[in-house]
Amino acid sequence: MPSFPLPPLSPALPEIFLAAASMALLLFGVFRGERAAREASWLAALALVVAVVLVLGGGGPRQLALYGMFVTDAFAVFMKVLVLLGGIFAIVMSIRWNEQARIARFEFPVLVLLATTGMMMMVSAADLISLYIGLELQSLSLYVLAGFKRDTVRSAEAGLKYFVLGALASGMMLYGCSMVYGFAGATDFATLAATLSGGETLAIGPLVGIVFVVVGLAFKVSAVPFHMWTPDVYEGAPTPVTAFFSVAPKVAAIALFLRVMIEPFGGYVADWRQVIWLISVASMVLGSVAAINQSNFKRLMAYSSIGHIGYALIGLAAGSKEGVESVLIYMAIYVFMNVGTFAVILLMRRNGEDVEAIDDLQGLAQTHPALALSLAIFMFAMAGIPPLSGFFGKLYVFMAAINAELYVLAVIGVVTSVVGAYYYIRIVKLMYFDAPKPAFDRPFGAEMSAVLAVTAVVTLFFFIAPSVVVDSAAAAAASLFPG
Amino acid sequence: MSGATIDSLLLLGAVVLPFIGALAAGLLPTHARNAAAWLAGAVSLGAFLLLCTVYQAVTAGGVVRLELEWMPSLGLAFVLRADGLATVFGGLVTGMGALVVLYARYYMAAEDPVPRFFAFLLAFMGSMLGIVVSGNLVQIAFFWELTSLFSFLLIAYRHHIAAARDGARMALTVTAAGGLALFSGFLVLGHIAGGFDLDVVLGAGSQIHAHPLYPVALILILLGAFTKSAQFPFHFWLPQAMTAPTPVSAYLHSATLVKAGVFLMARLWPVLSGTDAWFWTVGTAGAITLLVGAYIAIFQHDLKGLLAYSTISHLGLITLLLGLDSELAMVAAIFHTLNHATFKASLFMAAGIIEHETGTRDIRRLSGLNRFMPFTARLALVAAAAMAGVPLLNGFLSKEMFFATALTADEPLPLGLKLLPVTAVVASAFSVTYSLRFIHGTFFGPDPTDVPSMPHEPPAWMRLPVELLVLACIMVGVLPAATIGPLLDVAARSVLGETTPEYSLVVWHGLTRPLVMSTIALALGVTLYLALQRHLRRGVEIVPFLGALSARRLFDRAMVFLSWRLARSIDRVFGTRRLQPQLRLVVCVALVLAAAAAFVRGVGPGNIAPSEVDPVLAIVWAIGASCALGAAVTAKLHRFAALVMLGGAGIVTCITFVWFSAPDLALTQLLVEIVTTVLLLLGLRWLPQRKDGAGAQRRPLIERVGRLRDFGIAATAGVGMAALAYAVMVRMPPELLAQHYLARAYTEGGGTNVVNVILVDFRGFDTLGEITVLCAVALTTYALLRRFRPAPESVQLPAQQLDQIALDAARPEPRRGRLVADWLLVPSLIGRLLFPAIGIFAVFLLLRGHDEPGGGFVAGLTASVAIIIQYMLMGTEWVEARVRVLPLRWMGGGLLFAAGTGIGAWFFGYPFLTSYFGYVRLPLVGEVPAASALLFDIGVFALVFGATVLMLIALAHQSVRGRRATPALDATAPSPRVAVGAATGDD
Repeated sequence: MPSFPLPPLSPALPEIFLAAASMALLLFGVFRGERAAREASWLAALALVVAVVLVLGGGGPRQLALYGMFVTDAFAVFMKVLVLLGGIFAIVMSIRWNEQARIARFEFPVLVLLATTGMMMMVSAADLISLYIGLELQSLSLYVLAGFKRDTVRSAEAGLKYFVLGALASGMMLYGCSMVYGFAGATDFATLAATLSGGETLAIGPLVGIVFVVVGLAFKVSAVPFHMWTPDVYEGAPTPVTAFFSVAPKVAAIALFLRVMIEPFGGYVADWRQVIWLISVASMVLGSVAAINQSNFKRLMAYSSIGHIGYALIGLAAGSKEGVESVLIYMAIYVFMNVGTFAVILLMRRNGEDVEAIDDLQGLAQTHPALALSLAIFMFAMAGIPPLSGFFGKLYVFMAAINAELYVLAVIGVVTSVVGAYYYIRIVKLMYFDAPKPAFDRPFGAEMSAVLAVTAVVTLFFFIAPSVVVDSAAAAAASLFPG
Repeated sequence: MSGATIDSLLLLGAVVLPFIGALAAGLLPTHARNAAAWLAGAVSLGAFLLLCTVYQAVTAGGVVRLELEWMPSLGLAFVLRADGLATVFGGLVTGMGALVVLYARYYMAAEDPVPRFFAFLLAFMGSMLGIVVSGNLVQIAFFWELTSLFSFLLIAYRHHIAAARDGARMALTVTAAGGLALFSGFLVLGHIAGGFDLDVVLGAGSQIHAHPLYPVALILILLGAFTKSAQFPFHFWLPQAMTAPTPVSAYLHSATLVKAGVFLMARLWPVLSGTDAWFWTVGTAGAITLLVGAYIAIFQHDLKGLLAYSTISHLGLITLLLGLDSELAMVAAIFHTLNHATFKASLFMAAGIIEHETGTRDIRRLSGLNRFMPFTARLALVAAAAMAGVPLLNGFLSKEMFFATALTADEPLPLGLKLLPVTAVVASAFSVTYSLRFIHGTFFGPDPTDVPSMPHEPPAWMRLPVELLVLACIMVGVLPAATIGPLLDVAARSVLGETTPEYSLVVWHGLTRPLVMSTIALALGVTLYLALQRHLRRGVEIVPFLGALSARRLFDRAMVFLSWRLARSIDRVFGTRRLQPQLRLVVCVALVLAAAAAFVRGVGPGNIAPSEVDPVLAIVWAIGASCALGAAVTAKLHRFAALVMLGGAGIVTCITFVWFSAPDLALTQLLVEIVTTVLLLLGLRWLPQRKDGAGAQRRPLIERVGRLRDFGIAATAGVGMAALAYAVMVRMPPELLAQHYLARAYTEGGGTNVVNVILVDFRGFDTLGEITVLCAVALTTYALLRRFRPAPESVQLPAQQLDQIALDAARPEPRRGRLVADWLLVPSLIGRLLFPAIGIFAVFLLLRGHDEPGGGFVAGLTASVAIIIQYMLMGTEWVEARVRVLPLRWMGGGLLFAAGTGIGAWFFGYPFLTSYFGYVRLPLVGEVPAASALLFDIGVFALVFGATVLMLIALAHQSVRGRRATPALDATAPSPRVAVGAATGDD
């Protein structure tokens, strides 16, 4: 009598917990009605914190679950913690803003939870199928979130545009997956890696398949030339959503990108490196140059994030353990400086209205010295000026590029970061040197001040104890490379 | 922490102390002038004394080293490393810092927020010390950028002045950009040397020279050094930075910041120099800077501008010495660095005193100050004389050394030209001229008439730093071996090691050629000054001959280009907000990438020979392809037609499945096609109607071209996809999942319809999930549409119907309402007759599903088709008056049934969803497969049926509600009975 025990589920405990929590929260919201937004948000944040604990508790050696579709390893733990942090920050920052914008609904945290669950699934995907499921769970939730402020045209447009383009990209990726499956006869990464290995170069079929998968993933990380949606969606979506967009999905998509490229296709770095090289260079150039011309802060951040993804992809192009490690460090640093910047953007309200223009920051140093100081810290960090954390992110990726003998890539990276520094420093100049505009609305709220303080301190004092991040990133990167 | 000696801890203290001081000063209240000054002074002196202690340990030629864990994974430790050069430089930084603090205490105005100034100053001092005593390259780059940052803050200290902001920004842009270049250069250098530790790098000289990346590293590092040390063509930021408060200029722009580049070149001199590349880049840059800087300095009217260009020129001199690849030149470079720091700082301070007392720095307005501030005038005179290289002062000694090396250095120039001695003499003649101008223009001549305030001697404490520095100039000038000798020796030895040359530090060498050159230069300088008197008195701002060559203007242009024009054009090209070009780009790039991959690698023939093409199938496919094409073409113009053609393409797919012996697949596909088409048809009415008719008038050319292009893209993408699919199909993959299922469908699942077996058995759990999702989808659709009303423009009756009504109304005996009643009379009759037939067919499909084509999913869809047909042919009201489907019950029941089947396995001691299979003989029907999966299938059937009908009802009620919204159109329509108990249309 054959016995079919339940599949081992414990590695997926955080995901299961989050999925269940989002359902419970949905019910909670339905029964409590519209008033429940605030409680639901805090509960969602709490659920995410619990998920962090579960993720950290589940760390350890590599474990497969759900018939090889799901994997937990040090890499997954690292990325999931980042994703969850992004989710926590986004929810906490959304509470007050949503109330002021009159979009405080309990569906918001539920959607964030669902999206986060999808992202964690992406991070842990060990199979093309589970990859796609995670990706779509994330994407569908994000489409709705982008259009969450339904009564404004910009938000609705953002949601729709993101959906149309995202569906196209998903379709391409799925096509790529089916090509890979068609040639390799398997969907799980382990079998793919085993089946594909052996040849000097990759066969044409999987290669074309990878190209399409890369297209889809590049869209999700908004790398040039698949970045088109980013500025529009960043600008149009409600600001807390944009803050969420700029961190958690980026981290998850980068994680997925790394895993897909390294685990099944890691033996053929030379074959896919050119593609990554190209989109990395294009992203860095466009991100740094096009940002200069922006007057809307959220749009600027969109281009800035495009540029940052370009830098992160340098590490992927290196394709080495060191390269992966540098990407992880870069993303960890990126999460904090980006969340901090968005916290400032969220506080930019004057007479009950959002202001988003960069010029609205003029003279901030005189009206809100602490706010100006923290934004200056984030801007200098993004520009990659030591001793702030951003410098170390760049240090690691450039070093990885040079050790992988990608000299041109490293030099282009340096040049573009010089250009990019220009617009970050311009913001500092606006805040400190220009005649002040009227003050922003007060009070800022304790939770916003806390977010600002945490992110600023991490960004500023990263250099004192970088090993906290660096060591776990190294362990995480090592777990992607067997042996 | 390894090998931490007392000395190394003292060294750490010296680096950390200024930062702590900066933090403390920053926390002081704005008006705490004296407290901040005392604090800053104490910190500087403390750091200086700490370094003096370290110096004791270093004199013997030792190196003080401290290593702390920093980034172990990169093999990077936080290393402090003090040798002779570092300690001497560190002493310069801290000692000069103490003097500047004293000076600044009296210089800063009462309303300036002084604590902030001292905080920045101390932080800068710490960063500068960091560069000097860092023991690894990354750390140097790190502190390097910090100095750029703090110098930016110091220059912009008076940020309410526009010029200060511009100067600060330019300095930051140039030096920070240079710093990044330096950083990448260091990465390359570390890569070559195999480590970032300075000892490792310094020990890898031959390896570095031989490496192909040596030029890259060299250029990048030199970019950093040149920008920091204001070497031509990056010199333009330094004069702009003169908007800084004078203590800042005295500190940063004479002694410290600008010396960082020089220090770095000296530091890496053992491993980078000695090649032609080094000689040409460093030597040329140094020589040009030396000449150009000195020349422009002559024509400056601003005291600080003059000093700034003179600084540039002297930095050029040091750079030139470093470029000469000779050990003696190296010693001279270090020597001159120290000398220049002393006399230039004192001159800056003097200029600051003048500005402080008179309110202006313009030489044209100043004169005769000697009578008002005689003591200051004498101090400035001595310092300027040192700058000009007058004997018995320190500037003379290092200049002599420079002349000596200029005469002896190898110049790999063609034709045996000896340019260096000439350059040296001309440049030092220029320096005599501008020194004269500084002194003569300011302190001599008639009383000033045009100054804002009448000057007098400054406070004694403000003058003290100047006095000390000038004293140093004289002491070194007269007794070099006793004063500076040991310091210089230690510093030079730490760079040159065994190869330190013999040099003599005495004032009188006898009547040598350098002395002759000095004399010539002095004479030339004085003559030039006298000759230029008329030109200078006219007070024009433009520098003769070099006025047009403004690197600053180039910088501005470059910034405008980068920050404005380039950004705008890129934004214009790539920054579209329209969806269409965005989609186009994604598709095109994907296409190009895939095509590139295919072309580069080449698509060879597959390993399966394609079977020959059946002409009939080819025709069918041609039809399908034209349908798809037609759908694409008409999608925008005629949605209905497009949808129908889409259905056509779908049918062809089904036929293909049948053709290749996959009837089950075909059946499933067919039903999915039908249902989706119908649902889409119903959904069409929410789309707004197109205003312009299809092809009504000729479109403008540009639009037609655009369409043609889009057509091209679409066609190429489609053909590409087809080609790829073909390429997949002519290859036999290593191992197919399908074979796994085919092999086990009967043995383990008890069925021969593989799709069905997969659905209900192998992946039973998945199917359970899927039908749950289907449930949710149906409910969501219903919930969404419940309060939805069709767009007003789609509520109107169709044009044909309106025409017919008008026609009927015109008849003699109008038959009201008959039009709709008679509509589709024959089909509706057939449809009614078909209803039971389809129902039975559905049950048939359900029962045979496990072995033959069919199954719960298909059966459910089939049954719902029966209902759909009724709705379509008879209308919502008619159907709902007669048939009562309770979709929610079907769905709920189905789901429970399916789940119950799964749970049922538990009662027999099997895991969830284990299936049992066997055959049961029924009367009339015969043998029926009776796998427990059949029960599961029944659940699936009920659910699929319920869900489809629920969606259908939600859609169908739109028509009712739409009409109710405009009751005038059809007032006679009876209110429909609502099949689902929920409220409808009550919005």
